[in-house]
Amino acid sequence: MRSDGVDTAHVLVIGSGGAGVRAAIEAAGYGETLLVSKTLAGKGGCTTMAEGGYNAVLREEDSCEIHFEDTLKGGAYLNDRDLVQTLVREAPERMADLLRWGAVFDVTDSCEVAQRPFGGQRFPRTCYAGDRTGHEMMATLIDRLDAAGARVENEVTIITLLQDGERVSGAIGLDKSGEMRIILADATVLATGGGTRIYDISTNSSSGTGDGYALAYKAGAELIDMEQVQFHPTGAVYPYDARGRLVTEAVRGEGGILKNSLGERFMGRYDPERMELSTRDVVSRAIATEILEGRGTEHGGVYLDVTHLERKQIETKLPVMLEQFLKFGVDIREEPMEVAPTAHHIMGGLRISPEGQTTVPGLYACGEVTGGVHGANRLGGNALADTQVFGKRAGEAAGRAQERRKEADQAVISAEENRISAFYDGDISPSTVVRSLRTAMWDGAGIFRTGPALEKTREIIIHLLMLRPRAASPANLAECCTVQNMLVTASLVVRGALLRKESRGAHVRQDIVQTWDMQHSPYGHTFLSRSREGIETEVQE
Amino acid sequence: MKDLAVKVFRFDPECDESPHYQTYLVTVNEGARVLHVLHAIHDDHDPTLSYRYCCGSGQCGSCAVRVNGQPVLACMEEARDGSIIEPLDLPVVKDLVVDMEPYLRQISSLVPGEEFRMPTAEEVEEIKPLRSCIECLACVSACPALKVIDFAGPAAMREEMRLALDPRDSGDRVTEAVRDGLFTCTSCQACWKVCPKDIQIPGKAIEKLRALANKKGLTLPRHQEVSQLVRETGRSVTRTEPTFMEQVGEILEPYGPVKATVGFFVGCMYNQRLPQTAHDAMEVLRRNGIRVIIPKEQVCCGSPLIRTGQLDVLDTLKRRNIDAFVFRNIDTVLTMCAGCGSTLKNDYKTPFRVVDINELLTRYGIEPPARLPLKATYHDPCHLMRGQGIRDLPRELITQVVDLVEMPSICCGSGGGVRSGIPEEAAALAEMRRVEIEKTGADIVISSCPFCEFHIMEHTDRPVKNVTTLLLEGYREKDRKKASPEPC
Ligand SMILES: Cc1cc2nc3c(=O)[nH]c(=O)nc-3n(C[C@H](O)[C@H](O)[C@H](O)COP(=O)(O)OP(=O)(O)OC[C@H]3O[C@@H](n4cnc5c(N)ncnc54)[C@H](O)[C@@H]3O)c2cc1C
Ligand code: SF4
Ligand code: SF4
Ligand code: FES
Repeated sequence: MRSDGVDTAHVLVIGSGGAGVRAAIEAAGYGETLLVSKTLAGKGGCTTMAEGGYNAVLREEDSCEIHFEDTLKGGAYLNDRDLVQTLVREAPERMADLLRWGAVFDVTDSCEVAQRPFGGQRFPRTCYAGDRTGHEMMATLIDRLDAAGARVENEVTIITLLQDGERVSGAIGLDKSGEMRIILADATVLATGGGTRIYDISTNSSSGTGDGYALAYKAGAELIDMEQVQFHPTGAVYPYDARGRLVTEAVRGEGGILKNSLGERFMGRYDPERMELSTRDVVSRAIATEILEGRGTEHGGVYLDVTHLERKQIETKLPVMLEQFLKFGVDIREEPMEVAPTAHHIMGGLRISPEGQTTVPGLYACGEVTGGVHGANRLGGNALADTQVFGKRAGEAAGRAQERRKEADQAVISAEENRISAFYDGDISPSTVVRSLRTAMWDGAGIFRTGPALEKTREIIIHLLMLRPRAASPANLAECCTVQNMLVTASLVVRGALLRKESRGAHVRQDIVQTWDMQHSPYGHTFLSRSREGIETEVQE
Repeated sequence: MKDLAVKVFRFDPECDESPHYQTYLVTVNEGARVLHVLHAIHDDHDPTLSYRYCCGSGQCGSCAVRVNGQPVLACMEEARDGSIIEPLDLPVVKDLVVDMEPYLRQISSLVPGEEFRMPTAEEVEEIKPLRSCIECLACVSACPALKVIDFAGPAAMREEMRLALDPRDSGDRVTEAVRDGLFTCTSCQACWKVCPKDIQIPGKAIEKLRALANKKGLTLPRHQEVSQLVRETGRSVTRTEPTFMEQVGEILEPYGPVKATVGFFVGCMYNQRLPQTAHDAMEVLRRNGIRVIIPKEQVCCGSPLIRTGQLDVLDTLKRRNIDAFVFRNIDTVLTMCAGCGSTLKNDYKTPFRVVDINELLTRYGIEPPARLPLKATYHDPCHLMRGQGIRDLPRELITQVVDLVEMPSICCGSGGGVRSGIPEEAAALAEMRRVEIEKTGADIVISSCPFCEFHIMEHTDRPVKNVTTLLLEGYREKDRKKASPEPC
């Protein structure tokens, strides 16, 4: 901390999920690194919640080429090829880092990391630690972060990126009690994770509010494919407040089967070859269709059944699932679960180079806040690998950034002070705004989309953006900023969805008839920034 | 939808002089968790309420609070009408938010060694149960030891053991654990019972670390003396008078028809230090139709050795004890020491059933005693309540004789070798008991464990009695009334 109350660091990392912590570990090797997180480091974000696993090519019989092809096919060929190449090549090395640092993954009898099959992959390449893989990774990474010597500021919410001209030069945050924090840095890494909390039904943690998309958009960065929102096929449906909670794909990986209320194993109608282990977009639409056509369960889901598996297998391979359902009165060893799709992952995000460089100088990004790696549909297990591969790369690139003179622009800071103090005079509770947004997004920009419904959703968001959320105390200021970030993120999703006039991967436009299959789409990324928006047209090979 | 009234702890150190409780009436959905009640308060009543949460699904460990005194995860615990919601018993930052960072920092990290070897499947299986910790600090909130003495706490001890099991770690975890208070743990099991991940810290971490410490010669001298005594005499305490077993025959017949026959496992304390209490219990059993067989070759159950990590003679003790009862074809073994009962039930594999005396008496039903004009409070022995899950049964017996005033269930400090090893800690915990006893205004203290009874006796001016002694007094009163009926 400098005498003027301004904190400085060589590298500022925003976000303490898998990507942010991996970036900070790497950056700390180059100079003073400060990691700032909205939550307690290690406890926030979606990485800790990740259950199923981490994809990496580890066996002779598998290959990076196959992983590359699986990822592309799963992503409906919208993925950025360079990023996918990087992902599949480096995922095994980053797994090795985790193991060296003490991660406790399940191993085979011959001491190799065990792998399970996951949807859309031709080889069982998903490494796992029971069904608490992300938690295992976070525990390991936080251990390592301590040793790497990065500084950590917990429970500070970043509300604006600071800029020196175009270049990002740090950020402004609010701490728990609403005090403003100014941080200046030579390079800033954005690792704020995803944002499906903009939907009524979501798997995300409380921090999945899309802050990063909004912060970067406001700073002029370009985002791609924001319409690509993954609806995970299996979210809990009951009790009401637990709706959306993820039921990991590992349940199907271990052999779980899906049935409708008539007892039919309906996946045979949608993907007879891959059945339950088809890609997520396909399974989600299948379940949604079953429910829409009246073959759903009492609570509005379908059955996911593991009762035919050995009790021991359920207890050792799916302990978190078993425990969570038991808490809600369902013993999954004895009775089927009820599940329905839930908003899970935003495949779109900041446009980055393989080094994690965004389109704005001084700003790097990694993890779910970025776009391009997963195309139009993410394969289960690829996101955790993504956090490590691109976390390291972004941390390294930021670490190599040139030292600069660090000066805070008083005018910008005052403007920000004015912006947030206006929240004291607001007139609507932030939670009311959030509730309206979530319903609107679920109804108008969900699994099945049409132009008119998207237009209507856009109008609702514009209306909500004009409301003035009220902060009841300084500690509530950050909440108001978050609401606005959610609205910006939602508007990016809807704009992307309007731009993409085709069905591709997770994005389905029911109002458009198309003649091409995924591989031969004339379209590339949608892109959105403050200065331009559109859709790339290119013929894919 | 349903309506719930809850009382919530509120405290803002910036402007409040002291904490207060606020009652809220909220409307929530069926099946709502405590977290959703907090959301409802925040969204619909008072947005300034501070509480932590993140994953909402029991995975991040941000949201632990106390509900009616018990640490729980707010996101997993079903909300109930009339609940009192308070922060964990840690320094409060604001409302339900506590300062977790100092405790989290005490948890050690793996330090990779020069050589890398992947853990084997067996090692992974051993590590996994300790690794599922989400660092919610519920256990730290519940641990009595760290309230009175320097102790890194259960979550940190768990990690020390996890690291000790990992071939990749280069640290000396055992020495570190001893430095950080390994021997301050009273084996009270509170941490395990509140852990949302059901991590058996006392058995799977602390006792294991103590056993490793034993191999390194780090066992406390006072504990070594106990082990020496067991090796020499078969008993973990010295005798101060003729022992119980020297005073009784091998078979005690009941006064009336036989309802059941049990073998009695006496235990060191009742045999060597509190024989009169054991006699009282025998009298109660005989009045209630229980035939008791007392094999004289029984020895210490080994609990004091297991808790302190000294395992070398354990197998011999176990064999001798099991043989003593098996030889007489006994299918039910009775314990009245909570520690012995918990050890026989949890640390032994016995070919016979083990029942605590409270279970036995309530199962067969007792002759009603007379009431005594006294107000009593009951101290839950850790090894009875948590070790054997017996909470209500002693209360059923006690309330047949006297009125009962409850006090919070907290360890008295005598277990886990703490009374002998770290007497000042044991005394500090007993002092906390004294204060709680005082608050109840009770005339007498009832318990059901010789260690607790002996230890609390030294720290309170109220008489401390065993459940069965109280019953016997009820019977004596009844006999007296019968002998000289009061004029009507
Ligand atoms: C329930 C669930 C299960 C999943 N399972 C798997 C799986 O098995 N395999 C897989 O590959 N992927 C899985 N995923 C996806 C994967 O977990 C995420 O995509 C990935 O972990 C994202 O990591 P991240 O580091 O980018 O973001 P996160 O882990 O979400 O971390 C974001 C961080 O940013 C911080 N932050 C956010 N906004 C701000 C702000 N304004 N100021 C300061 N800090 C901020 C948050 O506090 C948090 O620390 C799962 C996702 C969910 C939700
Ligand atoms: S057993 Fe009791 S004293 Fe020991 S660590 Fe657990 S809570 Fe603390
Ligand atoms: S051991 Fe259990 S109670 Fe303690 S911090 Fe870990 S999860 Fe929480
Ligand atoms: S909110 Fe994460 S454990 Fe409760």
